[in-house]
Amino acid sequence: MKILILNCGSSSIKYQFIETETRIVLAKGSVERIGMKGAILNHQRHDGDKVKLVGEIVDHQVGVEYILSILLSENHGVIKDRLEIEAVGHRVVHGGERFTGSVLINEEVMDGLQECIELAPLHNPHNIKGIRASQRLLPSVPMVGVFDTAFHHTLPDYAFNYGLPYVLYKRYGIRRYGFHGSSHLYVSQRAAVLLEKPIDTVNVITCHLGNGCSMAAVKGGKSVDTTMGFTPVEGLLMGTRCGDLDPAAILHIMGQEGLSLSEANAMLNKHSGMYGISGVSSDMREIIQEAEKGHPRAKLAFDVFCYRVRKYIGAYAAAMGGLDAIVFTGGIGENAPQVRAASLIGLEFLGVVLDPGLNTWSSQSERAIHDQNSKVAVIVIPTNEELVIAIDTDRIISEKKKATS
Amino acid sequence: MEPNELSSIINEKLRSGGGALNPPDSESITDFLRIVVVGVGTMGQGIAQNASQVGIDVLLIEKNQESLKASIAGIEENINHEISRWAKTESDKKAIMSRIVGSVDFSDAADKPLVIEALPDNLELKKTVFSRLDKICNPDTVFITNTSTLSVTEIAAATDRERRVIGLHFLNPVTKTSVVEVVRGLKTSNRTFERIRHFAVQLNKTPIEVFEYPGYVTTRIILPMINEAMYVLMEGVASAEGIDTALKLGYNMELGPLALADQMGLDEVMIWMESLFRELGDLKYRPCPLLRKMVRAGHLGKKTDRGFFNYDENGRIIRKGVAE
Repeated sequence: MKILILNCGSSSIKYQFIETETRIVLAKGSVERIGMKGAILNHQRHDGDKVKLVGEIVDHQVGVEYILSILLSENHGVIKDRLEIEAVGHRVVHGGERFTGSVLINEEVMDGLQECIELAPLHNPHNIKGIRASQRLLPSVPMVGVFDTAFHHTLPDYAFNYGLPYVLYKRYGIRRYGFHGSSHLYVSQRAAVLLEKPIDTVNVITCHLGNGCSMAAVKGGKSVDTTMGFTPVEGLLMGTRCGDLDPAAILHIMGQEGLSLSEANAMLNKHSGMYGISGVSSDMREIIQEAEKGHPRAKLAFDVFCYRVRKYIGAYAAAMGGLDAIVFTGGIGENAPQVRAASLIGLEFLGVVLDPGLNTWSSQSERAIHDQNSKVAVIVIPTNEELVIAIDTDRIISEKKKATS
Repeated sequence: MEPNELSSIINEKLRSGGGALNPPDSESITDFLRIVVVGVGTMGQGIAQNASQVGIDVLLIEKNQESLKASIAGIEENINHEISRWAKTESDKKAIMSRIVGSVDFSDAADKPLVIEALPDNLELKKTVFSRLDKICNPDTVFITNTSTLSVTEIAAATDRERRVIGLHFLNPVTKTSVVEVVRGLKTSNRTFERIRHFAVQLNKTPIEVFEYPGYVTTRIILPMINEAMYVLMEGVASAEGIDTALKLGYNMELGPLALADQMGLDEVMIWMESLFRELGDLKYRPCPLLRKMVRAGHLGKKTDRGFFNYDENGRIIRKGVAE
């Protein structure tokens, strides 16, 4: 099935056009600077043909229209007719408690998405705009919503509840949701395949370390805990997000500095994390460079980052009552052997032994990096969220076809 | 690269019979992508920054290069202050400044769909500027005047586009105050009103519809309160600090009325009160004699470091209750 995957942000749309049987990405690209001067469309076809166009794109609908146009283009395109697009898969950040898996989009689902805006005011409105735009432009094509939060809907209540008055959970849905679901799902399933064991028998800890960072405890294929919570701020240290924090500390800071809600929010999301600690950079590559040159706060940021990963590995091994594999993915997880090594220091008691040679071996493919005596597998798996969205979209559409035929 | 390169793929599709882009509905209300700000003092800087922050390209027009430089420096300084408060980042600053350009030539405004005037509240000045812009700008361009007390109708009369002239009353500091009064002049069209209300929402403001009347809502209500606080001080009922503390704690105000007056500038307060008094004729709008006295003494508030309170170089109150 040929499926168009759309990931709509505030001023950008990323897309991939995937053939799910062969898993070939026929074309991919992005539209950036929507609603600003000099919008850019970057498009790349599977045969390597690349094109970059500049112009004005006033809103998401025009953005999607351009994406369709370039897919249909004689010179750069991959299809001859719009109807060759058999389905559209939309990445949606927040599905709340209502969406526990991917869904075929209809008006009832759209109402549900509207209700989730309150939970993700920065992301969901743009996702909805993208869906509306594609519905207008491809009225006969089925659409599927795939949620960042859905994979974590299996968290038990004792893992997702905060120690707050219960009425707040009932009234505003204040609980832990977790994010990066498609990534955690994909790499945990790949880990089971690589371990050559049925997924329902393995305990896997997945570490998605990229721009945003989160870990998940995946027991028998189900997420039972994850580090991000009500928002993506909780948990690990990130580029510019603080991660775990005593909530009373932020209240104290707001009082001392006279900060408004939006200032405090920007501080936690944009001025904290590795950037906040080091004062140097939010980019792990630069943090490592500076730390190696002896910059004390860059070193501290690195240490805090890796310590948190290590701490959660211990916690999640305990949560699952066992551990078969640790997976690293995301930009940092896939490309920073220093982070993987430092995160696993001292975990021999858990049966985790890294092979230093394999760890530092640079590659773009899936690879095991543990010592042959390690009881726990340590695996690097490049993530592929778009493929997960495409496969899920394919599944939902095929089920629907079966049901109606 | 050609600015409209994207249209090539649409044209190509048209040739191959793939269907045209849905033409934009001429009646639908869309975002403004380019605006002009004429007169870039404190308010103009705030408006320009706010617009750029939401992705709008802003052209600043000032009377000379020196003022233009000062305006741009003022915006940068404001963003730096916000960075020091963790509200923004260096990359936010880069993005905001990249969408702001300056000019001293009115004719650069010609092709822009929206012009916002933020000159000092002086009727003759505003009329002169709008009359000039009226001849230069595209007839469809909407003119916004940012005024707290002047008549939008009267300002609009200086142009041949009265249906497309409207008032927007921003409050200082623009980027932090989330309300804006959208002021209809007598001849402002409904469509202009709806477009500018949409523009206010685009700026992340909550718009309040206001029909032209002296002082609108915010100024009309806050000024008599400030004036009354000055009478209370003058009549020896309480100290400046006492008055402000009472109102702050009693009614959950962020600033007391006297500190608020200092921030607005006492000369401005005086002009606004006189305007209300003149227009509405009611004694309750008579400027307090203490205000007059302080303006004559040149104690204009925060901007002169001295008003009802004294201020240090960072604009913080140093010694309280000094207005005798």
